[in-house]
Amino acid sequence: MALPLPPGLTPSEMAFLCEMELVTVIPRQRLEGLELLGGPTQPLNPPFPAPLPLWLALLLKRQRRANIRTPPWLRPDSLAAILEFETDTAKEAFSPPPNLPPPTTTSLHVDQTTAYLPATATTLELSPPFLQNSTTSAPPDALPYHWLELSQLLLAAAPDDFEDPDSVRRLLRDLREVRMAKLRKGIEVLDAGAGIKMNGVGGMEIAESRAFIGGVVDGLRYVPSMRSMELWGGGGGGSLCGTE
Amino acid sequence: MDIDDILASVSAPRIPQRTLDLQALSRAWVAERVAPELLPYPTDLIDRVMDRIRKQIELVEEMTGNMDPKSNFNLIVVQTELERFKFLIDKHALHYFSLAKSQSSLLSQSETQYLHHHASLLSSHYNASFLSSFPQNLQRLDDTAGGISMIDQPDEDTAVFCRILRDAGTIEVHGEQGSGEVELRRGDVWVVRWNAVKDSTKRGDVELI
Repeated sequence: MALPLPPGLTPSEMAFLCEMELVTVIPRQRLEGLELLGGPTQPLNPPFPAPLPLWLALLLKRQRRANIRTPPWLRPDSLAAILEFETDTAKEAFSPPPNLPPPTTTSLHVDQTTAYLPATATTLELSPPFLQNSTTSAPPDALPYHWLELSQLLLAAAPDDFEDPDSVRRLLRDLREVRMAKLRKGIEVLDAGAGIKMNGVGGMEIAESRAFIGGVVDGLRYVPSMRSMELWGGGGGGSLCGTE
Repeated sequence: MDIDDILASVSAPRIPQRTLDLQALSRAWVAERVAPELLPYPTDLIDRVMDRIRKQIELVEEMTGNMDPKSNFNLIVVQTELERFKFLIDKHALHYFSLAKSQSSLLSQSETQYLHHHASLLSSHYNASFLSSFPQNLQRLDDTAGGISMIDQPDEDTAVFCRILRDAGTIEVHGEQGSGEVELRRGDVWVVRWNAVKDSTKRGDVELI
């Protein structure tokens, strides 16, 4: 059975990936550490905070066994600072994401004959959602990769853990508009073959604009080939009929 | 306990193999969904993960027999996580294109069997429906005469989003203004043609997002 969806992740799949991010949780009940498939979890001793994956944190929150502490970048003052940076300082590019940890290996050390994705500690680099970008030790001045879906999930499930949810919502909306406008403006410099650099773009933003950007790049690819066909075709009524 | 956990408690905290496998599995899944062609099958990874899932299912069945209410909650958590893993594996397996049959080294055994079965079913269906009434020289399904191949090749020039994981030198990009070289530095996010980053992805220098 073939997969009917177009290439790329759907927004719900992006949310699934986001739920693997770690967040800081303040437990209200004791819970011993669990041996999960993805690794062991820390035992929960109230009132000490502990990092847990988001799906588990949301489960505990729904059962009122824990509170979630909002990551430092999701507070009104941090969001306002980032918004100001996006609008005033970085007109074309996005605000920079949190830095990746130093790489564990360089490309030259990788043996050409190793299997695809060997997944040992020395050959696999960590990347979102497995970087600790949303615990309380995260930097407050950078939007991590899953910022949009993470903030939506937290606002929906744990609004009481925010100090000012309404202003957070407002700032998030403004940020989203500014970034989508930048993405759309970036379309103008799209070229059929050249790459476009967009550091700092978020996961959900990619999911939303993947189809559009892919379509534009493919269309740009067809235009030169149609043009060359017209040159060869000579006088055969060669007008570029229709668009791709 | 896993040997990794014993070691971790003695020496500096090391990321457990299970977490690395989860990262690798999710990366493989995202890459298969985004890439326009079939990527090599990560056999070892899938075997390890399936093994752990089997053991976890046995553990769950064991814990279900235990009527203690506190461990009941642990059971629910463990089961939830199991479902998430199974989702990743399922989505990986459902992913197919119409490819030339020469790509057998990229598929797992069950995928190859499925592909053969599917192809033979399809061709016998076509034969029974209309192909047998075509003239002899038009009856082939993989005709390459006439300059146009009947086999759909995956479109290798589509745009893909990718994040650079390791500094890996430069790649060639061809634009309308001419071709140039783009340097791949760790942390950059690019939108490029699939062909340009194909080898880097297979080496692990670049991940698709």
